[in-house]
Amino acid sequence: MADDQGVIERQRAAVEAAWRVEHARLPSAPGRTAPAVSPPAVPAQQIRAVGQRATRPDSRNHGLGQTKYICDIALPGMLHARIKRAGIASGRIKRIDTSAAEAMPGVKAVVVGRELPVNSFGPTFQDQPVLVDEVVRHAGDGVAAVAAISEDIAAAAVERIVVDYEPLPAVLDPIEAMREDAPKVHPPESNIYHRLTIRRGDVAKGFAQSDHVFAGRFTSQMVEHVPMEPHAAIADWDAAGRLTVWATIGRITLARSDLARTLQLPMNRIRLIGTIVGGNFGGKNEISQEPALALLSKKAGRPVKGVFSRGEEFTATTVRHPFIMEYRTGVTRDGRILARTARLILDGGAYCSWSETTLGKSCILAPGPYKIDNVSSEAVAVYTNKTMSGAMRGFGAPQVCFAYESHMDDIAAALGIDPLTIRLRNGFEEGSVSPTGQVLHSVVLKDTLRRAAERFGWEAHS
Amino acid sequence: MIDVTVLVNGETRRAAVPAETTLLTLLRDHFGLTGAKSGCDVGDCGACTVLVDDVLANACLMLAAQVDGRRVLTIEGVAANRALHPLQKVFEDQGALQCGFCGPGMILSAKALLDRDIEPSRHQIRDALAGNLCRCTGYAKIIDAVAEAARIMRSERANG
Repeated sequence: MADDQGVIERQRAAVEAAWRVEHARLPSAPGRTAPAVSPPAVPAQQIRAVGQRATRPDSRNHGLGQTKYICDIALPGMLHARIKRAGIASGRIKRIDTSAAEAMPGVKAVVVGRELPVNSFGPTFQDQPVLVDEVVRHAGDGVAAVAAISEDIAAAAVERIVVDYEPLPAVLDPIEAMREDAPKVHPPESNIYHRLTIRRGDVAKGFAQSDHVFAGRFTSQMVEHVPMEPHAAIADWDAAGRLTVWATIGRITLARSDLARTLQLPMNRIRLIGTIVGGNFGGKNEISQEPALALLSKKAGRPVKGVFSRGEEFTATTVRHPFIMEYRTGVTRDGRILARTARLILDGGAYCSWSETTLGKSCILAPGPYKIDNVSSEAVAVYTNKTMSGAMRGFGAPQVCFAYESHMDDIAAALGIDPLTIRLRNGFEEGSVSPTGQVLHSVVLKDTLRRAAERFGWEAHS
Repeated sequence: MIDVTVLVNGETRRAAVPAETTLLTLLRDHFGLTGAKSGCDVGDCGACTVLVDDVLANACLMLAAQVDGRRVLTIEGVAANRALHPLQKVFEDQGALQCGFCGPGMILSAKALLDRDIEPSRHQIRDALAGNLCRCTGYAKIIDAVAEAARIMRSERANG
């Protein structure tokens, strides 16, 4: 007994010594520091945050390569998952044969869509399956998931899964998709799944009073977020029926409720750990593979990790909405805007994702930061058989900004007015009213434009 | 299986691996050195950058067998003598690391540059980092940080 106590004491001393060595190894990360600025950017008594440089608390670990992203986490007995992607834009699954994959040495579990208790999710409409059980709506749709003792075996097993499809017509162009006779992405529903109109004043009157009416059509392309860290998750369904998920998800409470819904588990059985994320940009705002990994873990009785390939990042995760934007603007001879209409078509791809938010913001912002008494802004979101569009930095604001500013340049050029002048003539001011009737405060648009023009020598340039 | 003996961060490490094992897999899965990342797996993004005999390499494109008997430096070996490398210190101080996923590769590419030229022009810095993608910073702070680290290293050398 005394000997045991001695062993325990020695072990404790050894652990403490190791801890001290570990922590003495490097200087600890500094707290927030203020750079030496002379004279101070703001009076000393006002210093709170402005003018201070905040050192990111996670930078020390990043720079040392010690940050543990999901790809760096390994749990005992952990399996690796791969997902079989449809590879076709539109089709009905006639048969899935997973037997050859299941028979491979090293494969521990295979899951298909019909095994999901509730096979749908989505932040607005629950129109997206975790794994397709019936109809493929875009090439990046997953149709089956495999867990194996190595990534290589999982990838090889995915190749052995045989899926027979009945090809269905695909619609890839949003304008074609809006036609009555277009193939339906989610039949029998129309491909137009969300619309919004914002009107203020009387555009017909405004155009009638205008000296010139200009029209412009602008399009933007699909953009992938390309986070340096691909989507990754680990699911661990333990023997007591509790599920722990480590995920690269920004919205962990939404993800937990989506997991509860798809897996039909009480919320208090699910622990979701939002890890350090290697870039999100809006692309990691909803679940993707997590429910499938959870079921693989439940079947295999082991934790399962899934990391998307770079190819899957492009085909199987959300992208920025491609927009088609049609503008009409009525102006006086000296470039004052009297009326503007904007018509936006958002290519939503196969599933809604964050389209509703994107559509709302872009519709509100479409006329631009200009005082226009008569405005109309209409937007529709349309399903196509392409990768689903979702949240990405700005929720549709960059697309319309590109359009209205290009349109302003075209108008300025046609009227022979300096591009800066036409913006200063129409720009929002303190107390301006937005298209939705919001009275704006702290408006510094014109001041910003003037200062920016001065800084980069606009006058000299033009 | 192939036996590989490598001097990793000054320490001799051995592993028996299947012939198709990449250097990245060797480092991450066999040696537990997870600082080098897999971002694209095809040599485009530079997140897996390491130094092999002082020369930059994409660990995802090299086989483990190719480093047998050679020296490999990973991000875990950059801090030495209980001190951060100037690059690590400046990257931290100046906010050059945001999500951090590109950081290890970025720092190693910068280190390879500063090891051979302690007075690089901004153009040379940009050129040295051309193989490392970052999606957060827009690169400006990273380039500033490398220039500042070079300045610190020059002054340390002058005073040292």
